[in-house]
Amino acid sequence: MSTLLNPAPAGTRLDPVTPSRPSRRGHRIGRLLGYLALIVASAAVLLPFYWMVVSSLKTNNEVFTVPVRWLPETAVWHNYAAIWDRTGITTWLGNTVLLSVVVTFLQVLTGSFAAYGFAKMRFPGRDVLFLGYVGTLAVPWQSYMIPQFVLLSKMHLSDTLWSIIAIQAFGALGVFMMKQYYESIPDELLDAARIDGMSEYGIYRRIMLPLSTPALASLALITLVNTWNDYLGPLLYLRSSNLWTIQLGLRSFIDNYNAEYALIMTGSVLSVLPITIVFMLGQRYFVEGIATTGLKG
Amino acid sequence: MKRSIAAAVGAATLSALLLTGCGSGDSSGGSDDKTLTLAGWSLATTPEFKVLADGFHATHPDITVELKEYDAKNYDTQMVADLAAGKAPDVYVQKNLKNFYTYQSGKQLLDVSDVAVTGASTDAYKVDGKTWAVPYRQDSWVLFYNKALFDEAKVKYPDGSWTWDDYATAAKQLTTGLKAANSKALGVYEHTWQSTLQGFALAQSPGASLESADYAFLKPYYTHAVDLQNAGAQVKLGDATTNSLTYQAQFGKQQAAMMTMGTWYIATLLSQQTSGDADKFEWGIAPVPQLDESTTGTSATPVTFGDPTGLGINPKISEGKIETAKAFLAYASGADAAKALAGIGITPANTDSATTDAFFSVAGVPGDDVSKFAFAKHDTKPENPVSKYTAPLQNILNDLHTAVLSGTKDIDTAIAEAQERAKNEVLNK
Amino acid sequence: MTTMPTARRGRDTLVGWTFLLPNFIGFAVLTMVPIVLLFYYAFTTWDIFGGAEWTGLANLRQMLHDRSFWTAVWNTLYYTVFHIPLTLAVSLGLALLLNRKLRAVAFFRTVAFFPYITSIVAIAQVWNMLFSPGYGPINAILRAVGVDNPPGWTTSAEWSMPAVIVVGTWREMGYYMLLFLAGLQTVPGELYEAARVDGANAWQRFRSVTLPGLRPITFFVTVLLTIGSFKVFDLILVMTDGGPGQSTLVLSQYIFQKGFEENQFGYASAVSVVLFLLCLLVTVVQFLVNRRRDA
Repeated sequence: MSTLLNPAPAGTRLDPVTPSRPSRRGHRIGRLLGYLALIVASAAVLLPFYWMVVSSLKTNNEVFTVPVRWLPETAVWHNYAAIWDRTGITTWLGNTVLLSVVVTFLQVLTGSFAAYGFAKMRFPGRDVLFLGYVGTLAVPWQSYMIPQFVLLSKMHLSDTLWSIIAIQAFGALGVFMMKQYYESIPDELLDAARIDGMSEYGIYRRIMLPLSTPALASLALITLVNTWNDYLGPLLYLRSSNLWTIQLGLRSFIDNYNAEYALIMTGSVLSVLPITIVFMLGQRYFVEGIATTGLKG
Repeated sequence: MKRSIAAAVGAATLSALLLTGCGSGDSSGGSDDKTLTLAGWSLATTPEFKVLADGFHATHPDITVELKEYDAKNYDTQMVADLAAGKAPDVYVQKNLKNFYTYQSGKQLLDVSDVAVTGASTDAYKVDGKTWAVPYRQDSWVLFYNKALFDEAKVKYPDGSWTWDDYATAAKQLTTGLKAANSKALGVYEHTWQSTLQGFALAQSPGASLESADYAFLKPYYTHAVDLQNAGAQVKLGDATTNSLTYQAQFGKQQAAMMTMGTWYIATLLSQQTSGDADKFEWGIAPVPQLDESTTGTSATPVTFGDPTGLGINPKISEGKIETAKAFLAYASGADAAKALAGIGITPANTDSATTDAFFSVAGVPGDDVSKFAFAKHDTKPENPVSKYTAPLQNILNDLHTAVLSGTKDIDTAIAEAQERAKNEVLNK
Repeated sequence: MTTMPTARRGRDTLVGWTFLLPNFIGFAVLTMVPIVLLFYYAFTTWDIFGGAEWTGLANLRQMLHDRSFWTAVWNTLYYTVFHIPLTLAVSLGLALLLNRKLRAVAFFRTVAFFPYITSIVAIAQVWNMLFSPGYGPINAILRAVGVDNPPGWTTSAEWSMPAVIVVGTWREMGYYMLLFLAGLQTVPGELYEAARVDGANAWQRFRSVTLPGLRPITFFVTVLLTIGSFKVFDLILVMTDGGPGQSTLVLSQYIFQKGFEENQFGYASAVSVVLFLLCLLVTVVQFLVNRRRDA
């Protein structure tokens, strides 16, 4: 650490483009148009979500009509109250939060740990093993979900939350992703630390982790979203209704109540909110590291 | 190297945790001989399983029937997985005949030929001379019609004498009549499923069979359907699927004057009319249109289709419970259970006359003669004939269904293609 | 690296493995074992309940004559070839655009990510409605600007795949934007300063500083995109269910159909192996190209 150059914040951003001799007004109009374009694009992107919200305020048979109605006849706010009683959404949310947090924690921890081994350590068989890891990403889950299910059943894990944790927390995605980001951290940094007598574990904890905060945050968010939105996994493994996650619960609710689509949309809106909040609060970590040490140029 | 020890210990703990795991429900059937586990779905809104469970308990007070809930839409996927892992319940429902074949040929059903079944037919569940499941419910397709809309359009109610030509004519008359009366409703709503057309084609065409790879019998049905779409009497398939139209809303909110649908819709319509999800209007049921006049009229037996819903026994059931399970099957197909089921609006497999009375005494069920006739008298053929070729052939025919009704292919090309695919991909095994 | 003494290398191996172990144990047992089994089942006929019957290459022979299989292969390639460059361009563009201190940049980044977290059922439903040929706004706009016969989109065999490709990109752009955003942080600021001092304009800075700096991430994103495109399943299932006809039937759905609807798990496993090999081939090629650029 004593051989580092002058520290620059790890999360340096691109400076806004400044043309050499702008006319002030042309520049401002450009910015304005840019913002306008962004707003229009955002509206287009948010359209499905808008439809979800509007549908959640309709009566059931109003949700799917021809032609589609973009505003409810009368807003049924009651749906947002009813959903807590009429469905087990509190249980579902609880289970989903638990699963998402545990899986994310395990995936980020073990994934980044293993990625360090792959990225910065040399040992025989490393590249082949890594290729094997990535290779498994190429197999669609529907193909091996039955052998996996039988295996987990024999381990007495099916119909428990552990089954979901087991199948999600040790994936190859985390390892692959962190390895790529670790590769961009220069080896000289690590060599210097090794010369200073630091152990590999110390390097992992004191150098790699802080420097890769944006990557860790991204992996955490992606894992969170994937676990949150996972439907097929819980469908296959979670039978008891007290174990259901929110996707499973909502979908079964549709079939249960013979098309209470408005309430379904209410549930879907509610299920998107936590992730949105997490993302909005945490999104700056994807671009601004909290490291105080810098990188050699 | 304290860290590596910590890592190793962590890894070992994790493995240990994985291998022991804390389960909540490691059950393969009830744990004692006095509990029978029964698979069901959507337990909160599908009371038939509880009715069967409670009814059996009343006649066998020492036995409890425990319900296990499955997902309604993915029931078979979950059941297949559970059976493969040895965790399925003692008795499980045969939701339709397509998957019955899977279970039976996969040896996942106990031979129940010695279960005494009276008043219901077990033909659909017979393979190799033995019976493998017992029906408790038999839905069939009927024609639902909205009396109010018929009156508005000044068209006569269906009276059981219709052929498909009469039906098409009425649909067009309804559409024009409703438009003249300033209503936005259409004459007819045919739901997007392939069975809406193919079920009838298979049941009503003499000599028709899926395995023959001769699908010419589909042509008149699709010609009618395309004609109705083009005449504006029926929503185009593309619009129906992209807007996710539901048959409950289309008929219940009076978007269409008539609709062919299974008898299971009766209970739904009644409950939706009560809850306000459907409009309150007078409706009735009539026999479905027939291929030709030979089976029309109240002195003949109309031909329609529908798969039975039955119960089968898991072969991994413990020895001591087999007799109890068989008794449960006998009860479910018997007259008492049938009366209880009819009382909640289900169409039981048992055709005892007391059943019909029980059904029509439910509040809101139309009591006119045509409705009673449509309910009680019909020659119901299976939607999915039991065979190993049925599932793949149905997939091929589903592609035909979407291709023709979306206007991508004309019926003759589609039939030719389906026949070729059937021969090359399925029947040569 | 300089050559290490053998003792050091031995220790390195041990230490390296301790890093791998926590993840590897779970991975090996829960993922590798089932996948190895998958390869075994590919050479059998198996209805999932009983034992699997070894039938050697029979499944392969069936595949060669199976027209639906080849349709699925073609559709999968069709989707992949268009989906990858489109999504790459859009997500990189978004990341570059939103990497700066704009007003409300947090809001715009969240918006870009929204499609990824919205339920797939809602996405499919709304896009189907937007694409609805008779009533949807997209065709309404097309008609207004004079297009006489607007496409049938998800109701027509020709336009269903393009429609799905558009929705696929829309859905995933936020996800890959996120990865690129994180990657952009690893490009040191001094390099941009140096380039600007040298007189490079924005495009030149992009080409000579950003792109090379992003290479590990671009590679990662491309590999993920490729694999994801080959495996695409739930979007198509919910939007078009492989139809109309078989125009959007892709390999993953074909595997699911054969396995879970027709109970031919042996054959489904064989098709999965083919899908895997296809993916692997393309990924290995990408690895090699990337390694050559490194040298």
